[in-house]
Amino acid sequence: MACSGGGGPSQPPSPALSSVSPGSLPTCRSCSHNICMVSDFFYPNMGGVESHIYQLSQCLIERGHKVIIVTHAYGNRKGIRYLTNGLKVYYLPLKVMYNQSTATTLFHSLPLLRYIFVRERVTIIHSHSSFSAMAHDALFHAKTMGLQTVFTDHSLFGFADVSSVLTNKLLTVSLCDTNHIICVSYTSKENTVLRAALNPEIVSVIPNAVDPTDFTPDPFRRHDSVITIVVVSRLVYRKGTDLLSGIIPELCQKYPDLNFVIGGEGPKRIILEEVRERYQLHDRVRLLGALEHKDVRNVLVQGHIFLNTSLTEAFCMAIVEAASCGLQVVSTRVGGIPEVLPESLIILCEPSVKSLCEGLEKAISQLKSGALPPPESIHNIVKTFYTWRNVAERTEKVYDRVAGEAVLPMDKRLDRLISHCGPVTGCIFALLAVFNFLFLVFLRWMTPDSIIDVAIDATGPKGAWTRQYPSHANGDENNEESETR
Amino acid sequence: MEDEQSFSDICGGRLALQRRYYSPSCREFCLSCPRISFRSLTAVTCTVWLAAYGLFTLCENSMILSAAIFITLLGLLGYLHFVKIDQETLLIIDSLGIQMTSSYASGKESTTFIEMGKVKDVVINEAIYMQKVIYYLCILLKDPVDPQGISQVVPLFQFTGWAVGLQRDSSQRGAVRPELLPLRPHPCRLDPLVVGERLQMQQP
Repeated sequence: MACSGGGGPSQPPSPALSSVSPGSLPTCRSCSHNICMVSDFFYPNMGGVESHIYQLSQCLIERGHKVIIVTHAYGNRKGIRYLTNGLKVYYLPLKVMYNQSTATTLFHSLPLLRYIFVRERVTIIHSHSSFSAMAHDALFHAKTMGLQTVFTDHSLFGFADVSSVLTNKLLTVSLCDTNHIICVSYTSKENTVLRAALNPEIVSVIPNAVDPTDFTPDPFRRHDSVITIVVVSRLVYRKGTDLLSGIIPELCQKYPDLNFVIGGEGPKRIILEEVRERYQLHDRVRLLGALEHKDVRNVLVQGHIFLNTSLTEAFCMAIVEAASCGLQVVSTRVGGIPEVLPESLIILCEPSVKSLCEGLEKAISQLKSGALPPPESIHNIVKTFYTWRNVAERTEKVYDRVAGEAVLPMDKRLDRLISHCGPVTGCIFALLAVFNFLFLVFLRWMTPDSIIDVAIDATGPKGAWTRQYPSHANGDENNEESETR
Repeated sequence: MEDEQSFSDICGGRLALQRRYYSPSCREFCLSCPRISFRSLTAVTCTVWLAAYGLFTLCENSMILSAAIFITLLGLLGYLHFVKIDQETLLIIDSLGIQMTSSYASGKESTTFIEMGKVKDVVINEAIYMQKVIYYLCILLKDPVDPQGISQVVPLFQFTGWAVGLQRDSSQRGAVRPELLPLRPHPCRLDPLVVGERLQMQQP
């Protein structure tokens, strides 16, 4: 956890930071924001988006903002939960359709989301991940309600196949009237701007971060008699598991002292098991299955070389984590990966079995000749690169800027939809936006905002989380009564 | 000693809370909602009758009209006797226990008593209910096997309105959008209303 070490009381955002956008209203400079993070992906699901949301929220709370998270129910985990520092998570009972993403009708989530936005007095909606239907729903509703919106894109897309064309169209619709967009790398920014036909000025780049204290090297855990290559990723097509199954037999034949440790679970695991079976590599290829985030470090420190075979990646957290543990990183040159680490710490290859094998051989020969820097020094270099506090600081600037901007009124929004998204899609979604607005008017008539009670602010050092009520409050109660009247 | 305050429930209806302090160790909290109004009664009856007449003109069977009479009468009786709760009372006696009484509109009363030994805590919890997110007051019962565990959660004031713990919290920090915030005049805070309770958060 990035922020537990801080301990100190949160400071209000310093004036130097807030002076980013000269055009913004001065009243919004110093005020803290009420932020609602919306994504389908959150703990107990594991992955980059989930930890990004969690760590960013914690650091924003530390900086004095109020943050809540809205996601869908995971099995038995539904309702309202509190995490560290009073971070409130709403697990809404919405149906999951595919791949942990909820089904969307653009309307059915409005009553609950509106209720939450109103009762938490949310001012900025921050949606995450373009795969998440709920995030897009929330953006749509927030714009109808006249709230400021920010969107973070965590992934890259193609332009060619049918599914990408459709997703890109939806993204265009969803982002054309969003206030600000955050991407995790310059490659990702380029990709998003092209896909969604955006004005590049409203797209910021804020990289992901890792918690360097969680990923420290431990050279005694690895055996120097053999060379261990570690792979930690979900075993799916996107992560290049097929490449991995080509690399394993080739390298194992060449180097008798080479071992593989593979952490992660996924539909492509069966391929790796087949390879292991066919080449009789049971003692040299270990498949660990699904890893919890806290176990990742223990796996990483067992190896010398970290291999990443992703086919598409906006910003690869795994390689930063591995480098932070002092491993030599070999990775494919795709997406935003070349931006992530300096050349001295990473060996980049083309996404093919041949090129990856060459890269690994180069790393192995460097390792054998002792040309690699010691893990401690790699860790000390990497830990200065990406920290969550820095990410939060930069995100805060985006919020400050967004808070000063005006939300498009309904008529302009319809104009924007029709002019930006093509005649057919634009008109359809303009119509849906009108329906959504009418639905909102109906809901406001059914339950006016005034009868929705305000939620207690549990976040931060002054939140209800830390406030103690006396257990026998006889004396106090009289005071409270007089206040209530 | 007795005092009375008025609140609103989650749907905006009016609720009256009476607090009676019999002695330092014995208190009573009584939450009552307005009796069934003549207007809604008339509206429902008229709707049923109009529907019945509509059907009657279609199929010209006088059975429908007599059925409508029975439906209205039985429905009203059932509603008053089983559904409509006028008043819910919570009597707390230190060292003895908590008694919950609900009085129906017909005069029927149902009472539950929980021994103090079984009560672990009284907390204000938050839940998603229908299309709303609400606060409600509930009693946590001790698990007889595991002293740290909770065997059951008993919601209080379920029928007259969950809305016991809810008042506006004007001490909210942060930016408030004026258009979202037509605050009602009465001052607000989450008042620890009952027992010696405190706001207890669910641990992660």
